[in-house]
Order: sequence, then structure tokens, then C-alpha cells
Amino acid sequence: MRFITATVLGLVTSSLAAATNLTTPSRLALPADFKPPQVFKNTNLVRNTNLEKGYVRETINVVVENVDKQPQSDYYIPFPDEVFERVGGFEVRDKKAADKGRFVVDTTEAVSVGGQQYFIAHFPEPLAPKSQITLGISYAVLNSLSPRPAFIQQNDKQYLTYTFSAYTPSAYQTITQKTKVKFPSTNVPEYTTTSDLKSGADPERKGATYTYGPYDTAKVSPGTEYPITVRYEFTNPVVTVNLLERDLEVSHWGGNLATEDRYWLRNNGSELSSQFSRVDWTFSSYQRAPTSAVREITYPLKPGSVDPYFIDDIGNVSTSRYRPGNGKSNGLLELKPRYPIFGGWNYSFKVGWNNDLSAFLRQAAGQDSWVLKVPFIQGPKSDEGVQYERVVVRVILPEGAHNVRFQTVEGIASNGLPGANQIHARLSSLKTYMDTLGRTTLTLEVDSITDEARDAQLIVTYDHSFMDALRKPLTFFGGLLSVFVAVWFIGNIDVSIKKR
Amino acid sequence: MSLNEVWEAASASPFQPVVSKDGQFSVGFSLLLLALIFTGLFGLNRSFLSLASLGVPASLLFGFGAVFMICAVGVYV
Repeated sequence: MRFITATVLGLVTSSLAAATNLTTPSRLALPADFKPPQVFKNTNLVRNTNLEKGYVRETINVVVENVDKQPQSDYYIPFPDEVFERVGGFEVRDKKAADKGRFVVDTTEAVSVGGQQYFIAHFPEPLAPKSQITLGISYAVLNSLSPRPAFIQQNDKQYLTYTFSAYTPSAYQTITQKTKVKFPSTNVPEYTTTSDLKSGADPERKGATYTYGPYDTAKVSPGTEYPITVRYEFTNPVVTVNLLERDLEVSHWGGNLATEDRYWLRNNGSELSSQFSRVDWTFSSYQRAPTSAVREITYPLKPGSVDPYFIDDIGNVSTSRYRPGNGKSNGLLELKPRYPIFGGWNYSFKVGWNNDLSAFLRQAAGQDSWVLKVPFIQGPKSDEGVQYERVVVRVILPEGAHNVRFQTVEGIASNGLPGANQIHARLSSLKTYMDTLGRTTLTLEVDSITDEARDAQLIVTYDHSFMDALRKPLTFFGGLLSVFVAVWFIGNIDVSIKKR
Repeated sequence: MSLNEVWEAASASPFQPVVSKDGQFSVGFSLLLLALIFTGLFGLNRSFLSLASLGVPASLLFGFGAVFMICAVGVYV
């Protein structure tokens, strides 16, 4: 009995030790009359706006000069507060030393209601007076494209509008600037032409690229707006994922990495003006005509992925096909939703699959220390892009894993994710099959990202000893042994009626 | 040391499961069968000696057998 008590005590002792490097994003509060100190000057600014996908992708290259007498290191980038929440994957780098990685970026609360909200990029080294630095600022803005007309027929072309300012919003004085807008096609029926901003035609058109500027804005005060509206053809779905929940479950006993992605999807394109016609849909599908509806979702999976499933609220969806990769090439999961997803329509589903754990887990230097490298998100791959309003990734580690640390892998180009200090991370315990304590679960939450984060990798390290692994079999051992002991004990009680 | 360097440094020691996925069913089934036989033998003679000589191994076999069997049927614990 003492042995069992010892076993049970050993099993129940908490191993969910305090983990390191978990972050909770916080925003800096600013005084109501805050204005960024005018210590910089934008000598030259070029903004590239890419409208080829269902979201806006912007890259701003700007030469910044310190006009103050002191070295400065905090560069403010303003956004209206209603846009701020929809800015995703925000990143600032030194354009001339992109391999040194992204700058640390903080966010602020809104200065006032309807006011500006700022990203603050911290230079690794303060910029000396009169010296210059070239910044590469890149981000995506979600849900900023609106369909016009808002209602179309099933086989009509779809058009989107986008409104922006000819003067790039900046907290600092800008000497010269221009904006290049890249459209998905040359079909741009309406766009604003400016008359008094520069001499000559504005915008200048070259294929699907329209260039506004260059403008001489030395005398224009920061924050001045000059609205430009463009309307262009985009006969593709505007795929928006309201919520993606992703579970990555690590099993040492099974040697398996189980992945499940749960999607709540919406098409933000033009809605149907009349009732859906199945006949028209079948005709257009047969001709593979461009459509504003989601017809098919192609989902690349890592080599070696097996046992895929595709389930929605009703049950298994049989209109899917899995092409397993051979050897080193990716597998391809081709999903046809139960119905085409037109503008304003929703569809929720889940997909899941298994992988051998050996490709994703390695034993680190310590005997009981493990390092896991998995894709942060995988998701559909398509020309029209996917925007994710909210992503919750859960890495479910084996029971007893402790000392958990995580990091996203940074390359020389943007990985599509916000900085590490903008990822909300927490550690909890999840009880499921055969668990006594519950499995250590690392939950990462990110808002507003796009399918550019598909290539982002997540690395998690944790400690998990042999004794932690033995918890499951020993629990069952203890349980059955106590049954045997009870049988032996009860069987030996003398209950016979006789004289003692 | 960034975690990516930890990952690169560990390239020589990928994870190796105790029992490969293909072997999980046979291992789990054999262990559970042995556990059942030992349990039956213990049932025939419920003495302290057989508790130690049959009950303990049967419990151990059942513990590991159950873990491999649940993995074999697709619930990777």
C-alpha cells in the first residue's frame, strides 16, 4: 500500500514549472495632446501598395534623417485608430542591413477617440544628428477593400474599391514621396486623377501599375490627406478567416504529430443580387470561368502527412481528394466545400492529419531536453490570398513537459508575423485521453495576419524526462495492481460461519 | 543562443519512438494478451505469492500494453 501511495504521490506532483519567455502584449498609454517629437525628416519616401490579393499589402521605403541635436532612436508610424486593429504583420527593418532582423516595435493606445494610434520602431542604435537611415516598413491591412457594386449577379465580374491618401501618412515632414499601386489586372475602370499636386499626368500608368507622384511635399504639414479612390476588377473571392484554431499535438509514445485546423471562413466579396442558381453554377464550373465564389480550397501539407480528414458541421465532406507527396515533395489536400461560398456567405470546417514526429522533434543537448520545429500556420494556398482576423495556435506537449520556451523563426524577409512582443502567449494544462495531470499546452494568439505567414516556423523547446513519460503506464499499472490487491485481500477474509 | 540554433545543433539526434507506428498494434496486442493470461492465472490461485509473481507483471504488461494499443488505434497519447 505504501508503494501505491508513493506511486500516486509521484504521479500527482506538479511538473508544470514556471515557463520562461511568455509574453503578453501591452500598449503604451499616451497623453491626450500627444504629438510625436519632430526629430526626424523623411527625405524620400516610396510607398508600394499591392492590391493583387484580397487584402492590401504595403511596403514603404523611406530615407529618414535626424534633424534634432541629440541622437534619436524612436520613430513613430501613425494609423487612424479604426485602421490600427486591422494592420497585420507589421515590420520595420534597416533596408541596407535587412539580414540584421526586424526592429523592436511597440504599439500605443489611441491618443484620443478617433485620433491616431502609433507603432514605435526602436532603432538598435540611436541615429546621430544629421545622419540618415533607410527604413523598410511593411505590413498588410485587412478588410480595407469594399466591393462596388455590393450586389452582383452570379456570373458577373466583381470590382473592389480602395481609398487611400496620396500623401503617405507620416508623423514627420516628408520632402518627396510617391506611391506605386499594383493592381491584379489592367481592368481599372475608375481611379482618381489629381490636378494640382504635380505637373504632368497623375497617376502615370504602366500596365497594371499606377504611380501617384512624385510629389514635392516639403511645405505640406504631416497628417495632411488627399483622398484617392481606385476601383478595379477582382473576380476572385475575398477569403476572410474570422477565426483559425490550430492544434499541434505531440505524442512521444506514439511518435506522432497530430495537426488539426478549425476554420470559420467568410467571403467578403460582392453579395448575390438574386437567388443562387445551381444550373448556372454547374455551367460556369465546367468552363472553369473566373468567379467571386470559393470553388475549391487547395491545402499543401508537409511531406509524409497521412490520415487527412475534412469535416464540417454536418459531418465528413466526401468531396475532397488527397494527393500525398512522394518522398520530399509536399502533399496536396484538395477540398471542395459543401457549397460554393459567395460574397457574404460563411463556411466553417476542420481539417486534420498526422505526421511522423521524427521530422519535427529533436533531442537537444540535455538528456531530457527536446526541441520542436513546426509551421506556425499552414492554411490554403491561393492566388487571391487569405486574411486571418484571429489565429489561436495551441501546441499540446506531452504530459509533464516543463520549462517551455518558444520563438518564431526570423529570416532576411518578413515572415508575415508581428514581432515577438505582439504575440500573446500563455501556458495551461489540457486533460484528455489517459491523462492524470493534463498535458502542458502552449497557446499563442495573434490578430490580423495574412497567408504570408504560411512559411513562418515556430520553435518550442521543453524538458520531458523518462519518468514523465512513464506516468501513463505507471498509472495503469497502479490501477490494475490495486484491483489485484483488493481481490487478494477480500478473497482472504474468512466469512465462514463456524466456531472460532 | 536562439532556439533556431538549438534546433540546428540537434540535427544529429532526431526523435526516435520506442515502438514505430507500424509495430504499435502488434506490441500492444501481445502485451495485453499476456496481461490477460497472467490475470487469469492469478484468478486461479489468489495467494500472496501469485499476487507478486503474476499480479505485478500482469499490471505492468497492461500498463504498457494499454498505452501502445491506444496509439495503435489512432489516439496518440
